[in-house]
Amino acid sequence: MIKHHPTFELIQSFIKGDLPASLSAGIAIHADMCPVCQQQIHQLTEQAAEISFDQTFLDRFNVEHHGEEIPLINFDQMIEGITETNEVELQDTIIEKIITFKNKTFKLPIILNSMPLGKTAQFGKLARAAFQLNENEIHTNLLHIEPGGGVPEHTHKGFELTVLLAGSFHDDNGQYVKGDFIMLDGTNTHQPISQNGCLCYTVANDALHFTQGLNKLLNPIGSFIY
Amino acid sequence: MGALQKSLLMNVIEATPCNMPDVIDHVQLSQWLKAVAKTRDKQAFTSLFSFFAPKIQRIARSKFPNETQASEVVQETMSNVWRKAHLFDENKGASTTWVYTVMRNVTFDLLRKIKGNKEDNLSDDIWPIIESTQGEAEAFDDHLESKQLLSGIATLPDNQQEVVKGFYLMEMSQEQLAQHLNLPLGTIKSRLRLALAKLKVQLGQHHD
Repeated sequence: MIKHHPTFELIQSFIKGDLPASLSAGIAIHADMCPVCQQQIHQLTEQAAEISFDQTFLDRFNVEHHGEEIPLINFDQMIEGITETNEVELQDTIIEKIITFKNKTFKLPIILNSMPLGKTAQFGKLARAAFQLNENEIHTNLLHIEPGGGVPEHTHKGFELTVLLAGSFHDDNGQYVKGDFIMLDGTNTHQPISQNGCLCYTVANDALHFTQGLNKLLNPIGSFIY
Repeated sequence: MGALQKSLLMNVIEATPCNMPDVIDHVQLSQWLKAVAKTRDKQAFTSLFSFFAPKIQRIARSKFPNETQASEVVQETMSNVWRKAHLFDENKGASTTWVYTVMRNVTFDLLRKIKGNKEDNLSDDIWPIIESTQGEAEAFDDHLESKQLLSGIATLPDNQQEVVKGFYLMEMSQEQLAQHLNLPLGTIKSRLRLALAKLKVQLGQHHD
């Protein structure tokens, strides 16, 4: 059973579209497997919509712009342009993407379909493929751990998000299963081990790991994974 | 009532906006949206536009520094409302929620494009309007080989060709194109969209 969920604040930022794509996708993947968060997202979106389109709220919200002319868009022309065509957007058929690690095939969450994925790199029982999202210091990966594999004890200067896509792993804090949304920061140290193997979606912003050459030498496995 | 109290009261009355705070009429909005979906009702669309567009513009101004981008959010959002109205399902939520998600997705993709120089339109995957929709750009990236693309472009009507060539081959922005060709931005966008739809069909046939 899923026990680890995104915080209320994260979900709130998620529905407003304020999070980077990497974290947004992580929350969406989790919500796809978690009816509780799905329900919360639904309610918060409804609230955000109601507030956004409430004229009196907008008036209050933009009070400092009062008197300042809002530049006019030619709305009539825009309506004409939009309705010029009667074309509707039809649904494309979804292509399910799969990824293989060591002869094990996994179906990728549809949410990740449009994110370009780099080549897989192997390191012992670990394998990872990086998503090219161009989010500067934020790195997003698929991480596969073979049965019996694990990540040596490590910590992060920033945050480290793991969403379990398949399988399970454990650390000092307990057992994690498919769908769990595990957000750690610099205060956490952990050593995840996967007895039966697992596939994770990971997001981390540990920029220092990458920029400090010495650290990289001392901690090759850290820079390999994130 | 003393003079002071009277003038206070007047102040209070004046301070409240003269137009009644408009309570959102969800039933009406849903009806318009359904009319757009079922009968391509331009009048209903115009009503939706009048309700949403100025509000979207104000919200977008708080997220984007420049006016052109705020205007692009309005254009893109309302254009998606027109083209995707059939995906609205009133059993799943209010029309305001639906339009909000459309606006949020447009904003998300545009911000990503500005920040990371990436035009990957991930929003429809992260927040699918209905389950399992696919972004236009993805299909485009995946299927178009440049050779096929060029021969495909050649078959388009001239006015679509110039927009496609300007945008994809000369990498001009839609705004630049609008200026260059002396056309409204909306026309550039719809021509581009029509052209892409045609190209997609053509290339789809090659792959079958």
